[in-house]
Amino acid sequence: MGKLWQKPQAGAVRSRLMVTLLAAALVGAAAAGALAQVVSKSNLVGKLEGPEVVTDPAKVPKKLSEAPQLAAQVKAGKLPPVAERIGQDPLVIKPLHDIGKYGGTLRGGFTGPADFWNGFRCCSGPDHLMFWDYTGDKPLPNLARGLEMQDGGRTWLLQLRRGMKWSDGKPFTADDFVFWYEDIYKNKDLVPTPSATMAINGKQGEIQKVDTYTVRYKFPDPYFMFPDVLAGSTDLAGQMYGYRAMGGFAPAHYLKQFHPKYVGQAELDKKAKDAKFDSWVRLFLAKNDWALNPELPVVSAWKTVTPINTPTWTLERNPYSVFVDTAGNQLPYIDKVVLTLAENLEVLNLRAVAGEYDFQQRHLDLGKLPVFLENQQKGRYKVYLDPADYGGDMIIKFNLSYEADPEIAKWMNTADFRRALSLGIDRDQINETFWLGTGTPGSVVPADSNKYNPGPQYRKLWATYDVKKANEMLDKIGLSKKDAEGYRLRSDGKGRLRIEIQTLGGQFVQYTQISEMIREQWKKIGIDLVVQEVERSLAIKRSAANETQLGAWNNDGSEHLFTFPLHVFPFVVDDVVSSGPLYARWFNSAGAQGKEPDPRMKELMEKWKKAFGVPEKERIALGKEVWKIAAEEVYVIGVVGLGPAANGVRIVKTNMGNIPARQYNSPDGKTPGISRPATFYFK
Amino acid sequence: MLTYIGRRALLAVFTVWAISVLSFVIIQLPPGDYVTSYIAQMASMGSVVSDEEAQNLRIQYGLGQPIYVQYWKWMKQLAQGNFGMSMEWRRPVTEVIGERLWLTVVVSVAALLLTWVLALPIGIYSATRQYSPGDYLATFVGFIGLAVPNFLLALVLLYLGFTLFNANIGGLFSPELQDAPWSWAKVWDLLKHLPIPALILGLAGTAQQIRIMRANLLDELRKPYVVTARAKGLSWFRVVLKYPVRVALNPFASTVGYTLPYIVSGSIIVSLVLGLPTVGPLLLKALIAQDMFLAGTIVLMLGVMTVIGTLASDILLVLIDPRIRLEDT
Repeated sequence: MGKLWQKPQAGAVRSRLMVTLLAAALVGAAAAGALAQVVSKSNLVGKLEGPEVVTDPAKVPKKLSEAPQLAAQVKAGKLPPVAERIGQDPLVIKPLHDIGKYGGTLRGGFTGPADFWNGFRCCSGPDHLMFWDYTGDKPLPNLARGLEMQDGGRTWLLQLRRGMKWSDGKPFTADDFVFWYEDIYKNKDLVPTPSATMAINGKQGEIQKVDTYTVRYKFPDPYFMFPDVLAGSTDLAGQMYGYRAMGGFAPAHYLKQFHPKYVGQAELDKKAKDAKFDSWVRLFLAKNDWALNPELPVVSAWKTVTPINTPTWTLERNPYSVFVDTAGNQLPYIDKVVLTLAENLEVLNLRAVAGEYDFQQRHLDLGKLPVFLENQQKGRYKVYLDPADYGGDMIIKFNLSYEADPEIAKWMNTADFRRALSLGIDRDQINETFWLGTGTPGSVVPADSNKYNPGPQYRKLWATYDVKKANEMLDKIGLSKKDAEGYRLRSDGKGRLRIEIQTLGGQFVQYTQISEMIREQWKKIGIDLVVQEVERSLAIKRSAANETQLGAWNNDGSEHLFTFPLHVFPFVVDDVVSSGPLYARWFNSAGAQGKEPDPRMKELMEKWKKAFGVPEKERIALGKEVWKIAAEEVYVIGVVGLGPAANGVRIVKTNMGNIPARQYNSPDGKTPGISRPATFYFK
Repeated sequence: MLTYIGRRALLAVFTVWAISVLSFVIIQLPPGDYVTSYIAQMASMGSVVSDEEAQNLRIQYGLGQPIYVQYWKWMKQLAQGNFGMSMEWRRPVTEVIGERLWLTVVVSVAALLLTWVLALPIGIYSATRQYSPGDYLATFVGFIGLAVPNFLLALVLLYLGFTLFNANIGGLFSPELQDAPWSWAKVWDLLKHLPIPALILGLAGTAQQIRIMRANLLDELRKPYVVTARAKGLSWFRVVLKYPVRVALNPFASTVGYTLPYIVSGSIIVSLVLGLPTVGPLLLKALIAQDMFLAGTIVLMLGVMTVIGTLASDILLVLIDPRIRLEDT
């Protein structure tokens, strides 16, 4: 266990905010205690479990009931009866363990107005039209009652729930979808560039109203991926994305007052000016922001009552929530969610240790696990780990379209060079030091249980520690000459082969420190790595400008290969760490701009693209192919993954019920959204 | 006297304009813009900003325009009393700052009062009882106060507060009162949270002021007029307080210029460590997020405060010290 606390070589590690000192002090103090309690995967990672959506119409509860304060309002004549509010087709969720009790306030922390995902994840329901089962595998009907494929995947019929209402009591109908499509999505000021999710093979689709409760999506080509797109965290996934004019539907009856088509430009400009916005577009987007506008009618389980740009972001139960449990109780059980602003992450983590939160997962630092564990009794909480299903909590991307230094570009485009570098990493040492042994060393491929996983042998492919083989490979490709210190020389005679890795500080994973450790390890294979920590805006600028060589990041989201591809192949130009901005541009412009990648990469891209238009069985086969190529070619090195580093450390008060022992941890699953916090309750 | 003030005021206006240009330029200096830092922020929280979204945002915020066009737009808004909209908070800048401003003032003024209440008597004592054990003690404590970075002190107190007293971590209010409307209970809660930040923020200043007061007073005490006054039979206490202390106060008046901006910004690092909802962390966040209008307004505000403070201290000095008044006319 002595290894556990071994620090990486100081090297160029730059000190960040002094605040970390506190963490160091705390960790130091807790070290003794932590060493006694063995930090191991086995006693912190439980069985994957979660609530289930009941789709069988026969099992829909006949009688509905509600929270006491809502019942009081009904009695006072301020609200219609519960059955009327929910409608004929409630969204039934079978709670994980038992039927809960109403009441209580859930306390958590958030870090400021940019942390809107915090609320989306915990409190939106989620309000996706389709959503994943608790294993994150299958898209099931959610706000929609059903989704029917027609015309070989070109047409999709979405059935809405009859009698479902917005949070202000107005009906939720197909008109809200048409309004979004015609007046928001197709408005060039609101959406200058259309979304890729509304298109197949680059051709845009349409949304039409069939009747009050039926919506038709029409695409020029088969779009078999459509249910997954509705379920994932995409532009069509729900009202959460209203802040950027997306979402797939919007409350027409409310938003029309902010749209030039309905109120006239002059009047609207005045409204925007009065509210101090410089254009009606900004006003409209602020009004359509779930986290920001308490007046906005919503369909989520809780709704914002004090907005995210105040010190406490407060959400209250939506009286018209369509979610119910199997006994017919309207969800959520918990009355109120209060998220308090933490000026910095250290304060947030310390508050978690002090037991000031009931449920906190976001922003908790794996490095503080010993402190969390030590204070479990005192803080009256329990620590859970939710290892993620993606292959890399830390990955190293090669910038394959790099041009500034032709020699380095050549090597980065040599498969055996990339493989050799991967073999030169001692992943076990890194796992013990930075993950406290809770991660899994291996390649970039997702968990074995993932449907796109190409097979267990790919976890270790080019991802073992083999210095001898790595040296042989490097010698063989033409890098056999070394200088006096044992570093390999460039083939163009310009001295030592020196590669630079770009890292960012202040993240969930200590990329800089891990890179420093890799720098030490790569000395054994004669590679001189320079670790450069940069400020994040600079990181994006340099990546987009094609100036970086290697970059450290994670591949979160890649467990949902088709909705989160950006860490698998070059997909986004403006990214913190890019594996080839010119290739991304080439891919996104269908070959019109950028640079054409090598044949293997092209094959990977083709397969990924093709998968959207084929039935599921074929898609799974294509997905496996994509991962196979990724693992064989090592475009991206996987270091340690399947771990709890990002959003995977969870602290829950012991008096809460329906808490899963382990939950599916994924951006696409809006974790903890996938565990349906609406079913959590205070015992 | 009037021409003196007039000239200073005119210079102040020019300085403010220069500050506005400078603050705008400085905010534009770092690489990237609000959109790049937004992308980075989203990426670290596990979500993606597509290329389309990034492009849309740049168009909506007008970030593609040349810098002088953006400056001109900002100035036009300022002229109308509109400080713009914070990109990150999506609220008018005045609201975002306003909410925190008076809490900042409360914390800073508390720290300042504490500084003066402690520093002046101790400084006077140290000077009048030079080389006494009390003076040595004050000097010792004073140097420690000067030498220990106050954020470190904040960390230590935070840790002790948590482990020994089970105190709330950071902030100025208990969680349950955070959102409550103003009441006596909330004021009391604020007062209970105030001493630690005030002490930490005030300590370094106190040490410094003690030294200044002591040195100045020592200079004065040796002057003949003090001896004369004593010889005429005035009590020691009256002599010291009436003349030398008054003269020794000059440096305090001249530091008002830096005190004013300090009062509205608070200390950035200490506020960050203690999780205080003051303007300091807001400025830091705005700079990190490259939230132009918010950062610009705060920097401008600090600049204006410095200018006003300097002007005020100039006038104050003229009032306190007749010698300055005479020199000028």
